[in-house]
Amino acid sequence: MRNPAQTPFAAIFQNEVLLNSKRVAPYALMVLFMANAALWWSRPAVQFGWATNSDWYIVRNLLGFSFLLGLPIFTAVIMGDPVIRDFRTGVDPLIFSKPVTRAQYLFGKFFGNFFVLVCCQAVFPLTQLVLQAFPTSRMIVLPVRVFPYFKHFFFFVVITHLVMAAFYFTVGTLTRNSKLVYVLAAAFYPLYITYGLLFIRPLPFRWQVVVDPMLLGVSLRGNGFLHSAEFLNNYVVPYTADMIANRVVMILLAALCLAILYVRFTIAERSGNVEQLSTLNLSTTAGAVYYPEIFVKPDSTATEFLRHVVLPDAAKVNEGIRATLNKLIAAAGVEFRLLRSERSLVVVMPLVIVLSILEVAFYNIPSDVSYSAAYATNTAKLLLLFLLGIAVFYTGEAMHRDREVRIEPVLWATPAANSVLLLSKFLATLSLTCGLILAVGIAAIAIQVFRNHTPIDLLAYLRVYGLILLPGMIFVTAVAVLANVVLRNKHVAYVFSIGTAAGLFYLYSTGYNHWLYNPVLHGLWTYSDLAGAGNNQAAIVIHRIYCLTVAGACLSLAHLFTQRKSDGKRWSILLAVISLVAAIGTGWLISNRT
Amino acid sequence: MLKIRELTKTYGSIQALQDVSLDVPPGVFGLLGPNGAGKTTLMKILATLLEPDAGTVEMNGFDLIGRKDKTRQLLGYLPQDFGLYPALTAEQMLDYFAKLKGVTDKEERRALIDALLDRVNLSSARKQRLGGFSGGMRQRLGIAQALIGQPQLIIVDEPTAGLDPEERNRFHNLLAETAGEDAVVILSTHIVSDVSSLCSQMAVIRRGAILAFTTPQQAIDRLEDSVWEATVPREQIAPLKSRYRVISSQMLGGQARLRVISKGLRPSEEFTPATPVLEDYYFDLVNQPN
Repeated sequence: MRNPAQTPFAAIFQNEVLLNSKRVAPYALMVLFMANAALWWSRPAVQFGWATNSDWYIVRNLLGFSFLLGLPIFTAVIMGDPVIRDFRTGVDPLIFSKPVTRAQYLFGKFFGNFFVLVCCQAVFPLTQLVLQAFPTSRMIVLPVRVFPYFKHFFFFVVITHLVMAAFYFTVGTLTRNSKLVYVLAAAFYPLYITYGLLFIRPLPFRWQVVVDPMLLGVSLRGNGFLHSAEFLNNYVVPYTADMIANRVVMILLAALCLAILYVRFTIAERSGNVEQLSTLNLSTTAGAVYYPEIFVKPDSTATEFLRHVVLPDAAKVNEGIRATLNKLIAAAGVEFRLLRSERSLVVVMPLVIVLSILEVAFYNIPSDVSYSAAYATNTAKLLLLFLLGIAVFYTGEAMHRDREVRIEPVLWATPAANSVLLLSKFLATLSLTCGLILAVGIAAIAIQVFRNHTPIDLLAYLRVYGLILLPGMIFVTAVAVLANVVLRNKHVAYVFSIGTAAGLFYLYSTGYNHWLYNPVLHGLWTYSDLAGAGNNQAAIVIHRIYCLTVAGACLSLAHLFTQRKSDGKRWSILLAVISLVAAIGTGWLISNRT
Repeated sequence: MLKIRELTKTYGSIQALQDVSLDVPPGVFGLLGPNGAGKTTLMKILATLLEPDAGTVEMNGFDLIGRKDKTRQLLGYLPQDFGLYPALTAEQMLDYFAKLKGVTDKEERRALIDALLDRVNLSSARKQRLGGFSGGMRQRLGIAQALIGQPQLIIVDEPTAGLDPEERNRFHNLLAETAGEDAVVILSTHIVSDVSSLCSQMAVIRRGAILAFTTPQQAIDRLEDSVWEATVPREQIAPLKSRYRVISSQMLGGQARLRVISKGLRPSEEFTPATPVLEDYYFDLVNQPN
């Protein structure tokens, strides 16, 4: 009998695991899930006296984990494009010319990637399992338990994500369009909430359980807040017949998706994707090949290949500020266009907008000054964290894109100044974050109108976004540009940025949030301050100037240390010195005022 | 005239260029050498992308190494390994390069791009995204961007590697036409036929040193009455290689077709005189011991 580990299915499965082990995404997910597990371990259990390893608390955390934190989107990230990747990299003919059946290929791909996804997700319960050994003061921990973590993880998380994984995998494979998968993933929350409100809520409770793919309804009424701690700590979550029926339905749905995929999948190239142009890349002329006299002098009569075209004269202007400005506008336009074509934005932008307006859309926002002020303040605080991530990530992408697509030597040989190449990337990323701020602002205003929280005070939005978010983004983007120039590796720059941000936010959360090292003004402002009614308006304005001068210094230093050689660095040295002096001056003023 | 004097570049313990000196006249100049000979290092220095350890490069009295910003205004560069933004179209890409090269007038830029696309036979693909371009089309767009702004120095590094014969022929025609415009065109390649087809002057480089500076015709003339050809059994290859300078061997139906260099003296009876070609000169030169 053939060893199952030696079958084509096993080979494809193992290869998928291997490929994923070389990607950043699974590791990033594991770190994220581990951090979430640590955060959710004690909160709110300690506050309410809930045992952190009770059966009910394990399920509560797993259901939250399964639904929140964009997990369905992470499922799409892992499951959306395994087959598309094969077609994109051109390895598909090599695979399909081997004795591999369609089922072996598809199911090897699916289960290989699903295994990786489950491994990533398993970090969450495993971290909480380990944390049982490290209780903090006032934390109630029942005797150590292991099996419930695995049992509930499989029942509530794995089966739920099996159907989502099968759906995303099927859509991605059949359409060969990963963007569509990401759009569907981004649409998950609005669709699920709509489905819940319109379809699930009117049903009797038993049916609510059966037709809810996330099984959110099985949690105790009131999510624990209506029961005593003693009751919750002793409560054992039962698997009712309705819940089991739900899981069976989910597994059947997953099987149905995969069956449709199996029937519809074809390895043939789609007509729409076929290049209309011949690919001329077979000859790889090596030095050792001997060439007889088959090549003749260029044939001037070969008009079918080449027509004589006189190139018109075109005046060139390369000197002066105006020429530099023209080049900067052109370069920033192209950089912005390239940023817009980043596939991840299809997911990131809607997700950030939805999460930023979630509170103002569904909760009552206390309005001390005005509704607009409250809306602007609330959305700004939620948006800030996402903006930081976006600024760091997309600056890294922009700074290293030229090298990655191998256009760098061509660009570096043009008479474009280093300032043009650097500032264009800075401006493009900044425009992206500004666009996001604008979109969130428009969405917040729309919700304000929808919820009848009028009148609309545009000045409130301008104050909050213009004074808090925009200077903060200029600062962060400039620092990210400098980090990428100095570190010369985007992954190192990401690690540096995430580490620095995590360290700073830890300091802020423990009370060390002095103005001088708090460029985003975390926890240091209220709307009254911005409107002039508080005590800090002048300090905030000086602080913003301080941030802008530091940003100027960072950009000047980035220009100074950029790898591309140029003749003069005098201007960047001068600008760096002026910016640093201004930063020290404004910093001194802030120290005196605060 | 481009004057290169005593150019030296070292990477750690590897000497990529050793006192390279060349006088390059207008027209297409071929720089021929095996992989790893130092061609790309020399091209990168000329294209202002790399700093030499020592040496000077002047063009009509202008210092190319000391004044990089000015040099880039004279330069058209097609690197050996280059990419393009796949999300842009051919037209958008050329427009971007034209702007970076200082062509500010919109009408002039449009006319220039139209002519360039026409010249490289890509007019019909002008609205097509570069992600869908074939290797040959990418290479032609590469030469088009190098021609923007009437460059006085055009550097093309291994431009035909990976192209099929038809595309290579097309590319040769394109370069030949470009050279007729008073620019210095430096063609770096390891493909001898590229040089024999295109170049009026050539140099051979190996291990960072210039071995020869000549014209293709002079190189061929030097081997007059020196190249011999024979078809011999496979087992005779080793004894013949030990006695003669074998410059090529090709297996045909179990037998070897050899070309050897022997100045005025027939190696053995089975050898017949052969017409020398540039490949003979090149292989003889680069296969000589240090």
